[in-house]
Formats: sequence, C-alpha cells, structure tokens
Amino acid sequence: MEPPVGLADQGARADGGWSPGTVPRPSGAGVGERPPDQAILAAAVALARALRELGLTVSVDSELVFFSALAELDVRKQSDVYWAAHAAFVHTPDERTVFDSTFERFWAGYPMTQPQRGAEHGESDSRMGGHQHGGEALPQFQQEGKAASAVDGDKQRATRDIPSAEGEKGASDQKRGVLAAYSERETVSDKQPLAYNHDELAALRRLAEDIKRSAPERRSRRCRPARGGHRLDVRRTLRDSMTTDGEAFRLAYTAQTPRPRRLLFLCDVSGSMERYSRVLLASLKAAVGAARRAEAFVFATRLTRVTRSLDGRDLERALEQARAAVPDWSGGTRIGGALADFNRTYGRRGFARGAIVLVVSDGWDRGDPELLAGEVRRLQLQSRRLVWMNPRPMEVDQQPLAIGMRAAMPFVDDFVPGHDPRAIAGLARLISDLGGQRPQRSQQRPVRAAVSGG
Amino acid sequence: MPGFDSIEQLRDAFTGQRYLMDEGLATVVFLAQRLRKPLLVEGEPGVGKTELAKALAAASGAPLIRLQCYEGIDVHHALYDWDYPRQLLQLRAGGSAPLYSEEFLVRRPLLEALAQPGSVLLIDELDRADDEFEAFLLEFLSDFQVTIPEVGVIRAEVPPAVVITSNRTRDLHEALKRRCLYHWIDHPDLLREVAIAKARLPGVGERLADQVCAFVQDLRWLDLYRSPGVGETLDWVEAFHTLGREEIDAATADRTLGTLLKERDDLERIRGQGLEALVERAGERATELRQDGAPGGPG
Repeated sequence: MEPPVGLADQGARADGGWSPGTVPRPSGAGVGERPPDQAILAAAVALARALRELGLTVSVDSELVFFSALAELDVRKQSDVYWAAHAAFVHTPDERTVFDSTFERFWAGYPMTQPQRGAEHGESDSRMGGHQHGGEALPQFQQEGKAASAVDGDKQRATRDIPSAEGEKGASDQKRGVLAAYSERETVSDKQPLAYNHDELAALRRLAEDIKRSAPERRSRRCRPARGGHRLDVRRTLRDSMTTDGEAFRLAYTAQTPRPRRLLFLCDVSGSMERYSRVLLASLKAAVGAARRAEAFVFATRLTRVTRSLDGRDLERALEQARAAVPDWSGGTRIGGALADFNRTYGRRGFARGAIVLVVSDGWDRGDPELLAGEVRRLQLQSRRLVWMNPRPMEVDQQPLAIGMRAAMPFVDDFVPGHDPRAIAGLARLISDLGGQRPQRSQQRPVRAAVSGG
Repeated sequence: MPGFDSIEQLRDAFTGQRYLMDEGLATVVFLAQRLRKPLLVEGEPGVGKTELAKALAAASGAPLIRLQCYEGIDVHHALYDWDYPRQLLQLRAGGSAPLYSEEFLVRRPLLEALAQPGSVLLIDELDRADDEFEAFLLEFLSDFQVTIPEVGVIRAEVPPAVVITSNRTRDLHEALKRRCLYHWIDHPDLLREVAIAKARLPGVGERLADQVCAFVQDLRWLDLYRSPGVGETLDWVEAFHTLGREEIDAATADRTLGTLLKERDDLERIRGQGLEALVERAGERATELRQDGAPGGPG
C-alpha cells in the first residue's frame, strides 16, 4: 500500500480515487457510487495528518474512529462527513476554527500539504544554535552585582528597600537576588531574544523549588485511610473484624487529603511595566513549572494565557514561546478590560474559584476605573484570596495615571508593595504565608461608591 | 436498546421526545450509537446537555442511569459498595453465605449500567470530579467492564450508551477525550429556540414564544457574564404565561428579569440599557419571523 500523500493525489487519480467533494470532478469517481475504501482511508489519513500539523491532538484512535464512522455514513454528504470528523478530531471548542478551515480545504479537494510552518520551525532551530549553554552573556543581560536599580531609577533605594515579602530576612545578598538585577535596558521587545544566563536560570530553579515546597493546600473531599481521621471507615473496619469473628475491636478511620490550592497569576506586561516583564515572565515560568496547579496569564491591552507555553521542560524555550504567544508586549494598558476578559472566558469556567490570585501590576490604567473596580471585585469574590503586587507603590497616591490602582484597592485582600522584582522572588514565602487563611472581607460595597471614595 | 437505522430516524425519535436537535448533534449521536463510543458533550450551561441523555433514553426506550459527579466521588459512590449492616448481621447470625458475594453487593450507577443491557448511562458534569476518578473511568469506558476484587470482572453483555457532560470548569484529560466522540452544543438559533419553546410548552401562545426567544437571542449577542440558556428562556416564557400575558411588555419583563438573568451586573446593565427598546425590538423581530413565512419547525 503506497502511503497516502495528500488529497490532491487522491482526487486526481482517474481510477476510482475519492475526491471528497459534492462537485463532480472531471477526473474523479462517478458521483453516486461509494468510492473504494482504499481511497477513503487515504483521504481520511490525509485530513488527520493535516489537522495534526496544525496543532490538534489527533491520535491514531481518533483516526480509527473517523474511519469507522465513515463506514456508517454517506461519505458523499458533506454534513455527515463533517460531523463525523468533528466528533473524532475536535476536542475543545477552541479547535473548531482551525478544524473548519481545514475541513473546507479537505472537502473542496485542495491538497492537504503542509502550511507554511517555516517560521515556527525556525524558532526551534535558533535554539539549537545554542547561546544559552555557551555561557556568553548576551548584550542586554545585566551582570550580577552591577547597577541594580530600583524601579524609579534610584540606585540607592535598591539596597535599602527590600520588599516586604522578604523584608525581615534582609536577603539582598542572596543568590536569588540575581533575578533582581535589571536595568532600563532590560526590556522585553519583540526583536531581542530573552537570553537568560546561567545564574538567572539557576535562581529560577531555586524559586521553583521554593514555590513547590510552600504551595498552599486545601482540604479535598477525597478521603484516605488515616489513623487520626475523624470519619469512620466502615468498609475497612468490617474487613478487619473478619479476623476476630465479626467483632470490631479496632475502628478504622479516614481523613480528608490535602490538595494543592490553585495559584493564579495575572501579570501586567504593558509599557509601564516594561522593566519588570522579563523577570516577571521568568518567575511565572518557575511558578507554573513548580506548583501542580498554577495558571499564568499576562496582559497589556488584552489577555493571553501563557500556562501552556510555560509548561515545557526546556526553560529557555518555554519562555521564548510564551513571549511569542503574547501579541502586545509593552502595549498600552487596559487592566479593566483584561480582567473583564479573564472573568468572562476563564472566571466563568472556575479558574479563580478557591484560588490564590496574584495580580502583578502598577495599576496604571488608561481604561475606565469603574470597569476596573467592578472586575477586580468580581475576581475577588471568586478567589480565596486576591493579592495585588505593585512594583511602584510610591506613585499610587501621586501619579494621576495610577487611578486604576486606587479604584482597585478596596477589593484587594492584600496589597504588596514590591519596590523591586526581588519581591517576585520572595513570592514563594508570601504565598505560603497566605496559605489557607481566609481573608477578612467586609460586605461588598457598590462599585461607584468605592471609586469616588478612593 | 433498539438502534436507529438512519440519522433522520434518530432525529424524528428525538423530536417525538420534544428534543429538537440540529444536524450536527444528530449525526454525532447516531455515530456514538453505531460505533458504541461514549459521547462527550460540552457547551454553555443551559443548552440541553443533560436533556440530551434523557431524550436519548426516552427515544430508545431504554432505562436512564445517572451518575452525578462531584469532587471526591470514588468507587464506592460510582461503582459498588457492600451492604455492611447486612454483612454484620450475617456474621453475627453465623450464616454460611459468603460475605463478599453478589448477595451483599450494592450496585452503584456504573455497575447498574453494566448489569442492565442496553441502558443509557449519563455521567453528568464530569469536570466536577477529580483526576483520579477520571482515570478510573478509562477502563470502564474503553472496555465496558469493571473489576471488583472480591467478585471478579464484570462485563456488559450489551454496552450501555454513555453520555458524558462537562461544563469545562477544567479541561478533561486527553486520554478520556480520545475514547469519546466529542460534540460542542451551541445555543440554538431563533427558529430552533422558538420550536423548542413550543414543543416544551404547548399551552403557550405563538406570539409570546416568538417574542421571548427573539429577546433572548438579542441578549446572547450582548456579551453578558452569563448568557441565558434554553432552560432560562423556557422559564421566562412560562413566567409571562403564568402571569397571564400574551405578549411581553417592559413592565412585566422588568419584574421577571431575574428568571432570565442571574448576575446582578447583567441585570443592571440590561435595565440600564432600557428594557422598552429591547422589548420593542423583540416584538419587531417576532413579527418579521412570521411575515417571512419561515417554517417554525427545526431546520
């Protein structure tokens, strides 16, 4: 059996090849007859392959399902074939767009050749070029120990103002501090590679370890046998009693097992946060890799979910992928709009339910403060705890642009000023400190009053 | 379960159960039945995912067995348990029957579905269960058999038709999706929604059903936090009907809006936009609907 190449080959074959199309093709099989199984199989495989190329998870199982489905249907009827393929290959609603366009091509009898993927492959190739293991510092990387400056450019401040999360430790000289080494040049633009060096990557791994150890837990509904439990395990008690002739001498108990609590990061990567976004992204990677249940989103003018991109094993590659996934690095800020996006698409699906939500943003918002306040309130209501980390806390009262921060304040459970990105490195401790406690919240005030009052 | 020979026949049978499906859903249900594959349906709340399983059971004259998922659900809730009180009694009475035999086995929904040939098994809101339970389901869904250590392997003579629903509060595992046919149910379009309303609420006037459905269709474009589902549309139609209204009017709409919208922000927003305008527009659309002479049936 020759390997199926593409639909074009199938359609062009005069000897009974199946061209899946309602339009009779001059060289195609006669309309009205069912094409031979061989041709259908080849075409089905070509479609599956094309979908796989485009990023859908198409397993051999799905192909088999599709093929056996075709055996049950009228393969000349577009809607039958469409829905069969849809049922077999599509697994989330997000995949429908890609599927629809691919199917259209398939049905029209266009070749199912590979789309232009050169650029994406190029990405992985450039990685092979391998600067990251060479140990050479790339231009925009700031050497450790040199010129670490505070957010507002005040170089002295960086050593004095240690973020509250790490505060009492006075850990400015810790290795982890390399994450804090940044300068104005260290912005994330589309053009330059992110280029983290060895020390930074090592620091990231340590941060990941910290987060893993300190991830807060919640009690799950699932029970395990436990000595100190409070719930009688009748099944085990009875089984044990078999050895004593039905006399239950020892009662067995179960207890609820702890589960990691979800961590949800919403990070601002807009223009005003430019100096942090590189470090921020790295910290996100650490958190997503470490915590079993962490979700990461970044936003400037719109919201992008980066959890999947950051999930990879290869640290550098994951970071580059995440950056590539965000269309508006250093764009304008629409915090309210981005949070609204989140609440609508993800919040409704329960992403924030019972989670510790960490918003990292300076609160510089050009949108409607009332919208922002409303969305923050909504987010707070869904979350276990809403923490807002602001790298420019000094400006909240003075800067007219920080109006967004003032609007959001009443609905934030914890406000953490992070004068420099070391605060992000101290995240782990912060998160574990917050842990299981439920914050004190007063009855929610109406949004409008809160804005005018703030 | 009597099978369906064609998609059309299946659709008619569902229509007979007052469940109106579009072509896509009909095809997928047909295939699931023919290929003996579980069917995974997702969709916004209120589009009729659970109803689908109920209609399938009714249309094929099969018993419906429902397993509602929740966090912490485990084998003893889903599959089987032992009847402890009776076992204890038996022990005390010194009876000779083996303690771990079918006699003391309590069948939970999954086992029940295997035992009843040709039943319809609804695994509702699987996303609420945890990963461990999902993993446990894999064996069940691929082979339609389960292993009870004390009894052995129990296999279905005729595998049940399985419908799994999910609200996407989390992503289900790929391994599970691979074993299923997938379908995303959308909100129905205006004509279908009207048809559904009429089928479900036969006593309600056409004009009222048309208007309410047109109103709701408009709302779905407004990007609300929680778009009303078909279930809520029906509730709202009934609300008007119960209050003795033949047509919708702004005042009654205002008072009964809580039937339709269940988020305070949504309510405020719609009231802020002016109900009069929305009601008026719904009236116009309802009139157009009849003037075009469009068939009210499922199309």
